[in-house]
Amino acid sequence: MIATPMTADPAQDAPPPPPKAGATGRRGGPLSRLGPLTRLGGALRGWLLATLAGLVLAGIVHIVTILLIPRLSESDAASAYLLLGATGRTELVTGPGRGLAELRDADPAVATAACSYDLSGGPMRIVARTGPVPLGLTLHRRGGGVLYAVTDRAAIRGVIEFILLTEEQLAERLTRDGDGQAVRELRIVSDTLEGLVVARALAQRPSDRADAEASAASVECGLAE
Amino acid sequence: MRVLSLAYVIALGAGIGLASAHYAVAHRPVVGLVKIGAWQTWPSSGGRDIDPYMRAYLARGVHLPLGAGEGVELVAEADDTGQELDGRCRYRIAGTTPPTRAWTLTVNDLEGRVFGPPVSRTGFTDQEIVRDESGMIAIVAASAVQPGNWLPLPGNRRFALRLRLYDTPLSGQAGELRPDMLPRISRVDCG
Repeated sequence: MIATPMTADPAQDAPPPPPKAGATGRRGGPLSRLGPLTRLGGALRGWLLATLAGLVLAGIVHIVTILLIPRLSESDAASAYLLLGATGRTELVTGPGRGLAELRDADPAVATAACSYDLSGGPMRIVARTGPVPLGLTLHRRGGGVLYAVTDRAAIRGVIEFILLTEEQLAERLTRDGDGQAVRELRIVSDTLEGLVVARALAQRPSDRADAEASAASVECGLAE
Repeated sequence: MRVLSLAYVIALGAGIGLASAHYAVAHRPVVGLVKIGAWQTWPSSGGRDIDPYMRAYLARGVHLPLGAGEGVELVAEADDTGQELDGRCRYRIAGTTPPTRAWTLTVNDLEGRVFGPPVSRTGFTDQEIVRDESGMIAIVAASAVQPGNWLPLPGNRRFALRLRLYDTPLSGQAGELRPDMLPRISRVDCG
């Protein structure tokens, strides 16, 4: 929007030549035959400049639109699953009859559960216990991008546990950490306040379905304190 | 004259700018695409450094892409010769799969949804498939019943195949995949 007057300037400056050329053409006798041609040339030049300005503006509009879509979209996963996780646990989003927006590109063999987070109330603690089926845990920030991904292979004694916090909350926690004490918790810094914790469990056989759903829907996501 | 050219500049800018932005993210973007044989993947879609086009595409629908480190998703909309996958034809999907803890292969429509009935089976997982003596996989995809590993196709519609590798050492390094590590898709005949 700011660019409009800037890019429009050459176009606005462009038209003046034709009237000038036309005026001299009318005044000078022999030049009068050149008048229409010069005027046409001026108009063409003005049109070319305006087209060029239009294309530059199109480039700016294109870039701004692409960058704004993730910020303004209300049909993304973070908006669709905003209310999930109020119980302190992930909730299934796949499977029939949940009244939730359909997850696109979903693997039919995978049970997916999500929990919405908002760090404005303080850091979150995410705890997942491994089960009999492969489990993957990802953090999707609002506006796109996967912050962190881990699978149950990285679990220590059957548990994946980490703290999700913002840069300021991390600084605050660091000052609170006592000197000489080893920090045992894993801290993941989020650059956005909102996002989704997503748990995916794979049912490699149809009979694993119940285990996969239980595993995906049992990830704890509550406030750390 | 000035008002006219200003209106022309704005119309041109807004028209081409918005139309090109819509076109660029209406489908999976070409930016960031890696082609491995018949398969396509977008390695940066599951990380923090996701490119703006993929980010815009994913934000326009309810998408939760696999995270780098969680797995790799490969999409095929054409066979090995580059011909679009057609539900009326019979395909042989054969070869090896990369080292991975688990994989699934599914038949989808072009929007990534699975077909409902009458397509009874949506795909295979690595545990459900029958392999030959050499450990290779061989799947026949067709709308009519086939012997062996049969993947039903939806009669007369176009379709896509999705191969998802879970917990693979290649997560986040999808550019390291080579065509001979992935199943080949060849058209057998068309009914």
